[in-house]
Amino acid sequence: MRTDGPTQSIQTQLRRSAARKRARRIIGHTLVYALMVSLALIFMLPIFWMASTSLKLPQEIFAWPPDWIPSVPQWGNYAEAFGKYPLARYMLNSAFLVVANIIGGLVSVPIIAYGFARFDFPFKHALFLLMLSTMMVPGHIKLIPMFWLYSRLDLIDTYWPLILPAFFGNPFFIFLMTQYIRTIPRDLDDAARIDGAGAWGILYRIIIPLSRPALTVVVVFTFVWVWNDFLEPIIFLRDWDSYPISVGLAFFQGRYSVEWHLFMGATLVSIIPILVVYFFAQKHLIGGLASIGIKG
Amino acid sequence: MRRHLARRMLVVVSLLLLLLANVGGVGAQDPVTITWWTLASSESPEPAIRAVVEAFEAEHPHIKVDVTIMAESAYGDLMNTTIGAGEGAPDIAYFWETPWLPHTLDITDRLAADPNLSRDDYFEEYFNNWAVWNDRVVGLPFTVGANFVMYNRDVFDEAGVEYPTADWTPSDYIEIATALTDPDKRRWGGDRPRGPFRAVWRNIGATKPYSDDSTTVEGYINGPNSVAAYTWLWDLVDSGATPTPADIEVLGTEGTGPVDLFIAGRLGMATLNNGHMITAANAGVNFGIVPEPHVPGNERFVHAWALRASIWAGTEHPDEAYEFLSFWAGPEGQRINMEIGALIPSLPAVLEDYPDVDSDYFQGFMGVLNATQTAEWRSSHPCWRGAVVRAVSDAWDLIMLGEIGRDEVQATLDAMVEPAQAALDECVPRLGG
Repeated sequence: MRTDGPTQSIQTQLRRSAARKRARRIIGHTLVYALMVSLALIFMLPIFWMASTSLKLPQEIFAWPPDWIPSVPQWGNYAEAFGKYPLARYMLNSAFLVVANIIGGLVSVPIIAYGFARFDFPFKHALFLLMLSTMMVPGHIKLIPMFWLYSRLDLIDTYWPLILPAFFGNPFFIFLMTQYIRTIPRDLDDAARIDGAGAWGILYRIIIPLSRPALTVVVVFTFVWVWNDFLEPIIFLRDWDSYPISVGLAFFQGRYSVEWHLFMGATLVSIIPILVVYFFAQKHLIGGLASIGIKG
Repeated sequence: MRRHLARRMLVVVSLLLLLLANVGGVGAQDPVTITWWTLASSESPEPAIRAVVEAFEAEHPHIKVDVTIMAESAYGDLMNTTIGAGEGAPDIAYFWETPWLPHTLDITDRLAADPNLSRDDYFEEYFNNWAVWNDRVVGLPFTVGANFVMYNRDVFDEAGVEYPTADWTPSDYIEIATALTDPDKRRWGGDRPRGPFRAVWRNIGATKPYSDDSTTVEGYINGPNSVAAYTWLWDLVDSGATPTPADIEVLGTEGTGPVDLFIAGRLGMATLNNGHMITAANAGVNFGIVPEPHVPGNERFVHAWALRASIWAGTEHPDEAYEFLSFWAGPEGQRINMEIGALIPSLPAVLEDYPDVDSDYFQGFMGVLNATQTAEWRSSHPCWRGAVVRAVSDAWDLIMLGEIGRDEVQATLDAMVEPAQAALDECVPRLGG
């Protein structure tokens, strides 16, 4: 009896302690989830506004108080937007440019980065700095010389000016990939070399398979940048049917007014591919960014 | 076998010869290709642009038009790039920026010799202000644009306020705007001007910010009429009857005028233009149009513009380019755009056939077209829009933000004289007076 008393008391205390911990954990999780859901809703608000606007009549868009859910959704706005301009064609054009740029990036970036990360050659650091310095040059400054160059090459009104640069490597991706390759132990290279692999063999059998997170960053960022790129397509393309979706959306912004309801509908559809890519690549993307030390 | 081979060879050679003959034939009759850059808009939509090309090529089989239709937001970058590169610019395009004007072809003689088109066919003021530069004709005015006050009849009826009439004054504007304002409905009575020395400024009597010969600021920017105009702005801001610049920014409406707020019924009156007028009409808004208010006894001004359709000076086909320009910006081209799109033509004879020409609002618009254009002074004084307006922007900003008292307007403008004079002295040698 004497021993039962303290034991029961300890057990009770342990149970209470466990219950308290569980309650604290539940409250903690609830608060965290509530916060995350709230933040998610806040971040979703612009997309919700976009969707809501895409279903309104022009006079409802800026009405007060705002109707978050239009009383009579104007689904026809989507048909009107896609009927007014060849947006489906423009999305296909964008997809082609994205794929071509991704291929260009995946071909060029690992090779150049591998060179900077693993080989010693004269002026290596100077060349690396020179390459990095090109990132500091604002894009607008390059437009006239690039236009002049492609004009001389008779490539204006073709997709080449929008694709070719990717095959020569993007400095940001080269920097990112170089840093990543430097984190891969050289012992693996040595082991492969003992097994008879040459420089190319090490690149394709060791470096590239281990660089998947960094390559995911290259793919996703290229996708987003090329999909959203507006300036270069308008400079180099002339044919009405060859524009990408970024240019197609700009047609809704007229000289005197914006067709907000059509613009929002078309924009909403145009961001779906980006959302899908993020959805499927987010795990690799976050891992890739974290491993390189770049915060997204 | 050998016979078969010989026959096949004969066929191949014949086909090759035929092909070569055709190629030579086509080469001999090759039409001249000219390039045309233009914009798709509700006034001039893509089908209208294609129809212009089709009609022109049918009439002129020796000329082929290679048209590039682009977005408004892309146009400036592309023109700057190609003009800057000295190559790749189109044969024909809108040359609406002043720095592009030196790169336009002088068409004075071509127009004078044109049996089908004359400068007298256009609205005189629009032609003089938008097609002539440094005494030479550098383009043709395509469409006309003008600012005026649009008022929402439903908002007026609800507030029990009488509609404005053409003889209204700037004080009436503030009074009516105040009566229409309803904070509970987040509704403002009117909007604010988008810059000094536009129509209402001149209607008040503030004729110009510096002397005609571009030498003197003192007595102009801080003269009594200028002070009166800035004080009117101060009163308008103080009335609380207008959205602030922040409101306009947050609500994301257009830089050319808050048409979205007007259509939504949240602005009783707004200074808008003919593009907005068509947008509002299409949205079913019940509205009317009056000229901007003015002080009785003063000359009435209108802030107006045209799109300058020009030929690039670097064109290799000036004759063919002119043929197309005179078609596109002449009666035929503007009529096609008017009928397929909603273009308001710059030719009175074509404008007479505008579909809504008898409507109340369109008659209101027609009423402002004959007023004197602010562009008359502005286009002959290029330093105002750039250097000098920046130098005096503090006075504008301080009033717009409500940072100074009414009795400080004169002193604020006095303080602007020195920087404005310095800006003018620096600019005139560069851009001319």
